[in-house]
Amino acid sequence: MKGVLMYLKVFSFPPACILNKMSIDRVVSTDVKMAEDIQAKLEKYRTAPFDARFPNQNQTRNCWSNYLDYHRCQKALDAKGVDTAPCDWYKRVYKSLCPISWIQKWDDQREEGTFPGKI
Amino acid sequence: MAHQAHAYHMVDPSPWPLTGAVAALLVTSGTAIWFHFNSTILMTLGTMLLLLTMYQWWRDIIREGTFQGHHTPPVQKGLRYGMILFITSEVFFFLGFFWAFYHSSLAPTPDLGGCWPPAGITTLDPFEVPLLNTAVLLASGVTVTWAHHSIMEGDRKPAIQSLALTILLGFYFTFLQGLEYFEAPFTIADGVYGSTFFVATGFHGLHVIIGSTFLAVCLLRQIQYHFTSEHHFGFEAAAWYWHFVDVVWLFLYISIYWWGS
Repeated sequence: MKGVLMYLKVFSFPPACILNKMSIDRVVSTDVKMAEDIQAKLEKYRTAPFDARFPNQNQTRNCWSNYLDYHRCQKALDAKGVDTAPCDWYKRVYKSLCPISWIQKWDDQREEGTFPGKI
Repeated sequence: MAHQAHAYHMVDPSPWPLTGAVAALLVTSGTAIWFHFNSTILMTLGTMLLLLTMYQWWRDIIREGTFQGHHTPPVQKGLRYGMILFITSEVFFFLGFFWAFYHSSLAPTPDLGGCWPPAGITTLDPFEVPLLNTAVLLASGVTVTWAHHSIMEGDRKPAIQSLALTILLGFYFTFLQGLEYFEAPFTIADGVYGSTFFVATGFHGLHVIIGSTFLAVCLLRQIQYHFTSEHHFGFEAAAWYWHFVDVVWLFLYISIYWWGS
């Protein structure tokens, strides 16, 4: 539980929406409440929201960043043996933004061990 | 017996501009032929003609200036402008390669891993041979200035020694770079890192060789008493060129070797 909160602090996360709900300061939040919040977010998901870190027309970095963040989140939460559901936000975003050919190429590279990004 | 009523140099008709143009044509088309049809004859012929043209044209300029007195002060002024404009054009040439380097390194793409140096590239330690190379070129800048002052003072022996030392330092730089190229863990084919590194440093190395050659010609001329303490523009042009080469290296070192590592 605390691990997930720590993870939320460390990793790049869509600033406004989830953090407001997550309220890191409120340690009172239980796993269940958080899971519910994430579920709510994911159910309401239509497409990737505006991310102020990538304000311009070229969204390559946005796609790349979320692809990396999803796989890093998976790796980190798997290592702790915790439910990886929070990671799905990143997956939704990169699936919305990235060209399918890029996702396929990067997935193949990860299989082969030739993926250039740091996961 | 007609004399000119002005201080300018009306050059006698010369075949070298034509042979130079033909050489340029042969070198360029010859290179294309080599790439596509695996034949080097045209390119080699063009290079030979280019070397002959340079030798004969510049020999003629030395004859006109040093032996025939055609390089009056206004003529020398024109030569100064010419050399400055040429060096300026070379500055722009290098500017392009620096642009390419910064374009790729300031916003590294996902293919590189989103980082610079790119994933998988082991860069050269900037504090090893590259730092030595920097010291070598800076020292050569000092020795060429020493040579200039010696020439202006009419000190023949120190002029010859300092000029020779400058050239040796230039050779030492080229030798060290050659070793670095041989030992480098990456090649020109290693993505945009390899391309920017070897094209930028490669053209720089070529300019070091050109500059060393220019200085060597000046050394031969100094030994043969061509230069006077008042009039030695060939040497000054070589020294300007050499300083330019040094400054380009400093930018290369800071940008590619140090910041880019």
